[in-house]
Amino acid sequence: MGVGLEDSCVHCGFCLEACPTYVVTRSEVHSPRGRITAVKLDVDSQGFDTCMFCRRCELACPSGVEYARIITKVRRATPEKILMNSLLERPRLAWRVLKAGKSLNSGLIQRVRLSLRDPQEPLEYREESPEVILFPGCLTSLAYRRTVENALKFLKAKGLRVSVLNGCCGLAHRSEGQVERAQELVRRLTNVKGGTLVSLSSNCTAHMRESGVQVLDFSEYVLGLLGQERVELSLTVHDPCHANMIGLGKATREVLRKLGVNLVEMEEPSFECGAGGGYFLFHPQIAENVMELKAEKIRRSGTNLVVSTNPSCSLVLSFKGFQVVHLADLLAQTVTKSLE
Amino acid sequence: MMRLEEHLRKIVGEPWVISGKERKLYAYDGFTAVEGDPELVVLPGNEEEAVKVIRLLLERGVKFIVRGSGTSLSGATVPVGGEVIVGLSRLNRVYSLEGYEMEVGPGIANVMVTKNAPPHLFYAPDPSSYVVSSIGGNISHDSGGVHVVKYGTTFNSVISLRVVLSNGEVEDLSYGPFLSALPIFVGSEGTLGIILRVRLRLYPRPKTRRSLFAVFPDVRSAGEAVVGIFKRGVIPSALEMMDRNSIKVVEMSRYRAGIPDVGALLLIELDGDEEEVEEQEEIVNGVLTDTGGARLSVADEGKVWNARKGAFPAMGVISPAYLTLDCNVPRRALPEVLEEVSRIAKRRGVFIANVFHAGDGNLHPLIPYDPSSPESLFRAIQASNEIVKEALRVGGVPSGEHGIGIEKVKFMGLYHGEAEMRVMRRIKDSFDPRGLMNPCKLLGGCEPKTEVTRWLWEWD
Repeated sequence: MGVGLEDSCVHCGFCLEACPTYVVTRSEVHSPRGRITAVKLDVDSQGFDTCMFCRRCELACPSGVEYARIITKVRRATPEKILMNSLLERPRLAWRVLKAGKSLNSGLIQRVRLSLRDPQEPLEYREESPEVILFPGCLTSLAYRRTVENALKFLKAKGLRVSVLNGCCGLAHRSEGQVERAQELVRRLTNVKGGTLVSLSSNCTAHMRESGVQVLDFSEYVLGLLGQERVELSLTVHDPCHANMIGLGKATREVLRKLGVNLVEMEEPSFECGAGGGYFLFHPQIAENVMELKAEKIRRSGTNLVVSTNPSCSLVLSFKGFQVVHLADLLAQTVTKSLE
Repeated sequence: MMRLEEHLRKIVGEPWVISGKERKLYAYDGFTAVEGDPELVVLPGNEEEAVKVIRLLLERGVKFIVRGSGTSLSGATVPVGGEVIVGLSRLNRVYSLEGYEMEVGPGIANVMVTKNAPPHLFYAPDPSSYVVSSIGGNISHDSGGVHVVKYGTTFNSVISLRVVLSNGEVEDLSYGPFLSALPIFVGSEGTLGIILRVRLRLYPRPKTRRSLFAVFPDVRSAGEAVVGIFKRGVIPSALEMMDRNSIKVVEMSRYRAGIPDVGALLLIELDGDEEEVEEQEEIVNGVLTDTGGARLSVADEGKVWNARKGAFPAMGVISPAYLTLDCNVPRRALPEVLEEVSRIAKRRGVFIANVFHAGDGNLHPLIPYDPSSPESLFRAIQASNEIVKEALRVGGVPSGEHGIGIEKVKFMGLYHGEAEMRVMRRIKDSFDPRGLMNPCKLLGGCEPKTEVTRWLWEWD
């Protein structure tokens, strides 16, 4: 079963405490080192499936082990996950299915609906020769239509022509081991032309950029647009895991600094939120333990208002009782004010 | 009678007993040259469960190994004889914090002790694996770290222990005058009893900490600087050395810190009051000039320290496996021993990188080998043998902080001699008359079953 990359692991264990599923189980089975050892020793371990694919272990690894490439090769997506991922590729269809799903007796759809209580119709918006192609990301378009509207409002207020492109970047597929499908999806985005591709979901930004797509994160793009906007709030920032890998937290903080926000840092802002994409639907107990640990870190910051630039993180953080906002939501406030 | 596995599951709950092929994930720790095969793995979730598990194993006469985070560099938790692994990683609570003392479970990671301490205090012993290695494991290996030179090894930071003895009794041990029961547990590698709870000593954080870095044309002159610093009365809070090979490896890894290609780098940390540190710095500067060193100014000091701390696993960029020794030698012998180490490397045809605690003469020659080639491992072991012998020849000891485990068993006899070994075996026998606790480790006494264990345990 070896995938040819696991041999660079020296078994030092430096990844253990960086891994959310190890931290809550403290079992080698649910640790990056254990998963790599399982690949090495050809053990079909349940740990392959319990990985949240946050890749914090890669940042902690002194030997540069390419964990993501190892784990995605040995994970096998279940039919349930394949179905869910293919729905995400078509956000409008997903919205219809979820709406209809109110009366459906599918266990999965019921679970999805528990976290996504109010699925919304993805926003369609097109302009001729757009300067910005706004890519909400599949889950953002379904769960946070308001954030897409807010982003649009801000960009329009800056006098830009915008088109919204609904779809999926393939990160969900990749994390479940559907590597080829993920590549197909991301390749489509490589060919997007006629405007700057701006991504509203920061983990998608990271995935796209790693796959060679010319894309700017919303935070990076708006940095160049900010003027006298001010937001008087005290808040803390959560760094979505993949976004953190390419250092997007810097741009997010830079935007907040320019807005004059009082930023109170939480402990380990990049610690996994517990969503793990759709992970929390399949491993509710581990996910709940990770969410609770994350919530503790946020509570200790003393603020209830959290900036999250990625939708699955936002969902579970709201689920934990926090007030969650995207940068676009904050920026839209400044537009309303100037109109008043 | 209920099957052992079933009984263990009843105590700790279904998910916390690992059997089947998954148990192999506990086949080795930070020492990967020997692959063990645990019969079962059990992960109790609290003290009560741990005591029940241990009592059950003792009752049934089952051999077992207590394991923390599994980062031992000497293979002290490798189940070479099919033992049951009792993992205490879930016993990671902070029980209390009072004055300069913190009571914790053995599974807590070293780094979490300082994280949980008030800002004016810190936990001093910091092995390079401190982000992950457990306090229970640190105690069992008497682990050191960069701050040993001033604050002592783990030994100096343990106030009391709660242990389970081989009769199943739970005892609280603390220091007393005369034949004190506590010290013998520190460094006993789980061969005498099971550590359940620990009271640790915290130190006040010094007002000032200053890092100095100095480059040298060769390891000999760097070694002379180390001796000189102490001779002039400065006790640095850390004094580390990296040689050309280890700098090269680190600069190829994630820990690259922009260290120039030089014969040796000294990393020096001074702590205390501002005035005291100023004075120490002046003296150190004098020593550096006298020994041919030059101060290196760096943009990011943290990066250079991380380069040092990550140097072992950074070896992964050039080789997936390595042996690392940790013999201590008197400081004055450092220049001589380092030169001999490089001669040994040449003679044996191996690559050796030195990155170590120079301040307390604790060598760490890293010897990479190719795990798919037994011959390459054999050469690495042969080189290790020569290095340890050289260390003993100049008045050193076989292990400073990584423990004996399965890696250094044969050096025990070489260092201690037969009479001392007999005394130690008698002590082991009185604590563990049936030999159930971590057999084969520390004092050896097992027949090698594989070629590699034969190379490690027997002289040729």
